[in-house]
Amino acid sequence: MDGFAIVLSSDELERVQAVSIISSVAAASDIPVDIFVTMNGFRAFDKEVIQNRDFNGGEAAEAMMNAEDVEVPLYPEQLEQAKSLGPLSIHACEMTMELMGKSLDDMVELFDGTLGVAGFLNAAEDKQVIFV
Amino acid sequence: MAEKNYEPDLVVDSRDSTCPGPLMDLIGKVKGAESGKVLELKTTDKGSKDDVPDWLDKAGHELLEVVDRGDYWSLYVRKS
Repeated sequence: MDGFAIVLSSDELERVQAVSIISSVAAASDIPVDIFVTMNGFRAFDKEVIQNRDFNGGEAAEAMMNAEDVEVPLYPEQLEQAKSLGPLSIHACEMTMELMGKSLDDMVELFDGTLGVAGFLNAAEDKQVIFV
Repeated sequence: MAEKNYEPDLVVDSRDSTCPGPLMDLIGKVKGAESGKVLELKTTDKGSKDDVPDWLDKAGHELLEVVDRGDYWSLYVRKS
């Protein structure tokens, strides 16, 4: 096994944040990570959602958003930092994006490109797959 | 562990940042540092104080000392 392939299908802040934390530390430690963003996961990468901090989520998400005195590094900055430190690739599911009438131009600039399911399976071939 | 006075070559100030901010900041600086250099990581995050040594163990860098400064911790690290 050589690294992780993470399918992110949720836009709940606590899930996206957990994926970001694990992926970022792994990649920064030179463990290869591929994140495949699909289904509701896209909403978390929409420029407008991030700009307006219009996140969905539960109790942990609220705690993160309302944290006082401490600085919680949120996933957009964290993933950007991680990409500069190690082998982290972020792919967009082409099918979902088309269905939702969105393109990579609507998303924050973290994506390496789009992939179909066969492309994702190729990227995941020698990795441990985690579905979120 | 007896407290020694390490003279860090580089200080990484991650106070007030939560997990994994301090670790990510440290990794970034460790990667850019030369072998043998001593880094001081300042953190107010207890989770990071306990977690950074686990990363160092795996990455093969040396944890020289953890000093409790009262309102933050200093972790002294030597890059392998």
